[in-house]
Amino acid sequence: MNILVVLRMIPDSAGELQLAEDGRAIDREWLDFQLNDFDDHALEEAILLKEAGGAKVMAVAIGEGAKRVLQMAAARGADEVVALQSEEDAMISSREIAASIAAMARARSVDLVLCGVQSSEDVFGQLAPYVGALLDCPHVSGTNRIVANGAMLRVTQERGAGVAVTYELATPAVLGVQTASKAPRYVSGSKLREASKTPIGRATPEPSGFERSAEIITLRLPVQGGSGEILGDNADTVADRLVGILAAKGLARN
Amino acid sequence: MASTLPLWILVVAALVLTSWRARRYAVSLARAPAAARFDQPMRRLEGVMVAIGLHRKMLRKPLSGVLHAIIFVSFFVLFTATIDAFGSRLFPGFSLGVIGGETWIAALQDIFSVLMLVGVGLALYQRYVLRPARFEGSNGKDAAIIYVLIVLIVVSLLLEAAARIEGGADGSWRPVASAVAGLLGRAGISAPAAEEVFYWIHVGAILAFLVYIPGSKHRHMFLAAPNIYFRNLEPRGLAPAVPKQREAPGVDSLGMFDWKQQLDLLSCTECGRCQAVCPAYAAGLPLSPKTLITDMRDALAAPTALPLVGGVIADETLWACTTCRACMEACPVEIEHLPKIIDMRRHLVDEGRVSPGLQDALSNLTRLGNSMGKPSKMRARWTKELGFPVKDAREEPVDVLWFVGDYASYDPRVQEITRKVAELLTAAGVDFGILFDAERNSGNDVRRAGEEGLFETLAQSNIDEINACRFNRIMTTDPHSLNALKNDYRHFGAAFEVLHYTALLAELIADGKLDLHVADGARVTYHDPCYLGRYNGGFDAPRALIRSAGYTLHDMPRCRENSFCCGAGGGRIWQGDDGVTERPSENRIREALSLGDVAYFVVACPKDKVMYTAATDALGATGKLKVVDIAELLVPRASQALDMPAVETT
Repeated sequence: MNILVVLRMIPDSAGELQLAEDGRAIDREWLDFQLNDFDDHALEEAILLKEAGGAKVMAVAIGEGAKRVLQMAAARGADEVVALQSEEDAMISSREIAASIAAMARARSVDLVLCGVQSSEDVFGQLAPYVGALLDCPHVSGTNRIVANGAMLRVTQERGAGVAVTYELATPAVLGVQTASKAPRYVSGSKLREASKTPIGRATPEPSGFERSAEIITLRLPVQGGSGEILGDNADTVADRLVGILAAKGLARN
Repeated sequence: MASTLPLWILVVAALVLTSWRARRYAVSLARAPAAARFDQPMRRLEGVMVAIGLHRKMLRKPLSGVLHAIIFVSFFVLFTATIDAFGSRLFPGFSLGVIGGETWIAALQDIFSVLMLVGVGLALYQRYVLRPARFEGSNGKDAAIIYVLIVLIVVSLLLEAAARIEGGADGSWRPVASAVAGLLGRAGISAPAAEEVFYWIHVGAILAFLVYIPGSKHRHMFLAAPNIYFRNLEPRGLAPAVPKQREAPGVDSLGMFDWKQQLDLLSCTECGRCQAVCPAYAAGLPLSPKTLITDMRDALAAPTALPLVGGVIADETLWACTTCRACMEACPVEIEHLPKIIDMRRHLVDEGRVSPGLQDALSNLTRLGNSMGKPSKMRARWTKELGFPVKDAREEPVDVLWFVGDYASYDPRVQEITRKVAELLTAAGVDFGILFDAERNSGNDVRRAGEEGLFETLAQSNIDEINACRFNRIMTTDPHSLNALKNDYRHFGAAFEVLHYTALLAELIADGKLDLHVADGARVTYHDPCYLGRYNGGFDAPRALIRSAGYTLHDMPRCRENSFCCGAGGGRIWQGDDGVTERPSENRIREALSLGDVAYFVVACPKDKVMYTAATDALGATGKLKVVDIAELLVPRASQALDMPAVETT
């Protein structure tokens, strides 16, 4: 089985986000980038499938720091690693990259495309459906377990309220991974150093084929809400103050 | 003499049997990888003299030290009796008589037979009446068998001499045996027959002892001295490098340990001094440094199908260690527990077998160079609230390059102290600078968590940045960084002059460059951080600072080399408290509270501020004891004096 995993680099949310001058993008110059967490799970699921039944895993990374993440993917067991060039200093739009992913999948007769169910730049999880549509093959999003049996896949999808659904589908397929069957493994520094010698392929993007349908007019940073108040650790005084606060808000009689 | 041949047969049989019982160890040692422990013979010999001749570490526990010294000296004196017993019959005509075997040597044998019995008596009293907790997990049967054999050897020796005296021999040099002879006479025992019987009991017990030793902790009679001789002479803070010939970074079978590491296993006396000082053991975690060693020793003696890591030694056992080094400091035979733990952790890390907490921290360190997952650019954020700019050491030359460290830089509970240190340096007119976002975690605990590859990456990055700066000395806030920069970075050929901030501040005060408010002698206690004290000998500067600031130091019972770890080191701070019955930090705060007259618990390590503040909170002792960094006690005269809280003396 040939598996393609998509690894997207996203701004590190622990950093301080600042808006670009035109107020329509994040200023990416001073940001640190990290691998999208869901994509990390997709990679783990691909490696687990490889370990369970044999597969050839190709990791395709997009964005700043792709090289570092691809070395990590190689250290974890990816057989081929490719950096897909993307527009510098711009967010990774699923709509833009879907055609490139689909083209790579087609060129290498990929049986299974895995990506994270969403990313902070694609909170609606559009990548898997777009790629599925372009390849004209089934797609499922929000998976938390994938088992391969020849060309058949059993895929468990997480739904709300603890409900899980299991699908059976034939490859080729595109899956948006919510969590891998096992938490992503740790790769030691010595393995990373070894993997730093892995040759990294390069791929140029395909035109998306879509007209631009809408534009961002304005972007706003989250507004700092009210902060918490610590009432102390003495039960009596805490109770008094709590009653006082509730009364002040008209929620209790003093 | 008619008994020569039977004795020869007995002796040869015993020697063959002994060698047979020791064969597995000998083969394993012979096949073990090399270890460079043959340098500096005089220094090595001197260490053996101090350790054995003076019983230095042994006497830290007075009763065991004294009783061991008695048994040890008696053994050497009575060895003359053994030479006599075997020599006289194996080689007819041999006698120690010419050098005083029947006069002064006889008198010494007579007296030391009694002393040996006194020594064994004290040992029995200690083991069966006092029952120190450190013997828990030791092999009691082994100890009992040895007591029986020693008593048998000594009593038969005395009785043999007594029977000889009763039969007419001169007893004037053997007062004890003469007294026993009187008793034998009254009991109507026939002298020549009894002498023969006691002789054979005596030699039989000695040979039984010999045959028994290879499978017993009493191997240490032969191995303690070599094990001390071949001890590690490298700086204590230098973790062992991964040998070039090793293919993977870690160790997952006993045969991969070099011969000295294997010799350690065979030298263990099961005294449990390591267990008694181990913070992980005290916390209820599944680690006793003693059983760590004896479990591996047993696996060396009787090969098992279990893997070493995750079988003979459980993963949790390895992760429990704080690398505080108290076990190695306590070991009278210089067993090296930590290199083994670190090597086995290296195997776990290489296999990806790490706890989620540790995985998070290591992943953050890989990605961002700090364990907290904070961006590098926020590393120097603490300087913003200072009233003065801090020099960028990458941009301009400085006298002191300050390596701030992760906790001091990022942790909001510690940043206040970091600023205090900056203010003190400024008040003393020190020309200093920092690396800003180019600093990375020093890798001290990364290395000790077994992540050698990541350690190398972090260390190399720091060394490159430091080498690009112009400075005279490096100062660190964190004792862990101090240790890495001073010791571990030698692996990369980096030789920096590195000081802890307590050493630099003590120097500034001694030079009259820092004028302080002097308190009125209020009593405080001080916690020696493992990586400052035990690892790097920094015991005195912090104490000098406390005195200079006008406080009276009331040390806790466990201080200096015997300091008790806070529980955060070696990567423990990144792991959960699962299985902990009493946090080491709380154990320590209880110790400070029991002093009864101190208001401040003074620390000199950013992690300690975090650990002990949490511990005093958890114990509800914030009203009785305040955790302060040493920098907080030092108030320049130009600033407002510190308001000392009132002490509740109990």
